[in-house]
Amino acid sequence: MTSTYVLSQVANGLILGSMYALIAIGFSMIYGIVRLINFAHGDVFTIGAFTTLASIALLSLPFPIAFIVVVAVGAFVGMLIERIAFRPMRGAPQVTGFIASLALAIILESLAVMTISAQPRTFLVPDYLNALVRFGGLSVRVIDLVIVGLAIVLMIALVLFVRFTRVGVAMRATAENYDVARLMGININRMIMLAFAIGSALAAVSGFMWGSKYGQISPFMGLLPGLKAFVAAVIGGVGSIPGAMLGGYVLGMSEVLFVGLLPPEYSGFRNAFVFGTLIVVLLIMPNGLLGRSTETRA
Amino acid sequence: MIGANGAGKTTTLATISGLLPPQSGKITFQPDHDGDRIDLGATRAEQIVKHGISHCPEGRQVFAALTVAENLRIGAYLRNDLKEIERDIARIQDQFPILRDRAALPGDRLSGGEQMMLAIGRALMSRPKLLLLDEPSLGLAPQLVEQVFDILQGLREEGMTILLVEQNASMALDIADRAYVLEAGRIVLSGTGADLAGNADVQRAYLGAA
Repeated sequence: MTSTYVLSQVANGLILGSMYALIAIGFSMIYGIVRLINFAHGDVFTIGAFTTLASIALLSLPFPIAFIVVVAVGAFVGMLIERIAFRPMRGAPQVTGFIASLALAIILESLAVMTISAQPRTFLVPDYLNALVRFGGLSVRVIDLVIVGLAIVLMIALVLFVRFTRVGVAMRATAENYDVARLMGININRMIMLAFAIGSALAAVSGFMWGSKYGQISPFMGLLPGLKAFVAAVIGGVGSIPGAMLGGYVLGMSEVLFVGLLPPEYSGFRNAFVFGTLIVVLLIMPNGLLGRSTETRA
Repeated sequence: MIGANGAGKTTTLATISGLLPPQSGKITFQPDHDGDRIDLGATRAEQIVKHGISHCPEGRQVFAALTVAENLRIGAYLRNDLKEIERDIARIQDQFPILRDRAALPGDRLSGGEQMMLAIGRALMSRPKLLLLDEPSLGLAPQLVEQVFDILQGLREEGMTILLVEQNASMALDIADRAYVLEAGRIVLSGTGADLAGNADVQRAYLGAA
């Protein structure tokens, strides 16, 4: 096992982790503000990938423009999910919200199968994205650099937004206590919708990256990455945005290293390993890596 | 406003500030710019603040996820006069220096008394015409209760209108211009603070007199 090989596995872990982290952030943001898991979140990832395909293949938009379209579509779909599956259930028992978003996920997948068929589609990205870049012995593709760079820029922007802007502070206040937030003059519906919009836009961007990197998409592509990003959010401490980021990278890195560094006959246990990691982390730290131990909600 | 547990004091405040809808009747507040009285029952809670009513809820409820400074600033969420906001923050911090010393700490790291100061400061940041205060003495040591009442006395002297809900009836009646006794959702007695403090029924039921 050469050091270049190890290095390239680390790079792969970073790439996969970036994509998991972007999905995981949405799980965490949405959970943080409505205390519900959005089961349709993985489908937003899928929608992001198909939007990319449509923008590039059907509309022949340039790649950067396709990215902007994906962000807009992702944010819009997120707001739609909130209006259809979450807002009408507000105040209802938690399980109602779970079922509503699960139902929506199944509807979205069936709809995709009926309209665009379950057949995987191949994805063509501009050639320059597939060009190789060398760093010493390590060679990666341009798309890999785009994925990691874009993910980091988006995550830094999100953290700054939530931490320092007036709306970011209002979002945190809403996540903590609806009633008191309203007493401050905060329109909580708008904050909840914004959390769905941002979280979903990031999941769609992750789908955009996934499709561009692996070159194949299908209506069910969101299932496993969605599930793993959910695991990442829980590992990081669900509700915590930095936790979701960390969880995404921890999960992506350990998954890649597990497959890459152990003998090939173990690689079939890849997913079992991911969920095993979850159980071990939660046994040691029940609130996740960065989760708060006390959850107060009036 | 005084009354036993469950008399409807907190519900009254929550209905005024719009967190609960009135089941019947109408709540109006002073005229808006057009000269019409504002129908609070038909106004959303997040709009009512804008009309000059600030509700400091029971149990303080400072935001734990926000720093002390952010807690103060979010009280001015609907205001756009940035300079004035900074000036108000400085004024509140002059009055409660602990809020300046601990500005960067999360809200829940303050002691109960400090959280009360923060909650009052936060409620003042919207520059209310009417301040609704729900049980500010709840869970505080006697000495801190004194301090809170001194603050209220100070606000009163500055001309702030305060609707105070209190379990501590004797102190509340002491500083109240007008007082109401609420029983099972109805006002059963009203008068000046001194009137009620001298009323035999009030003394028996709420002031612990034999």
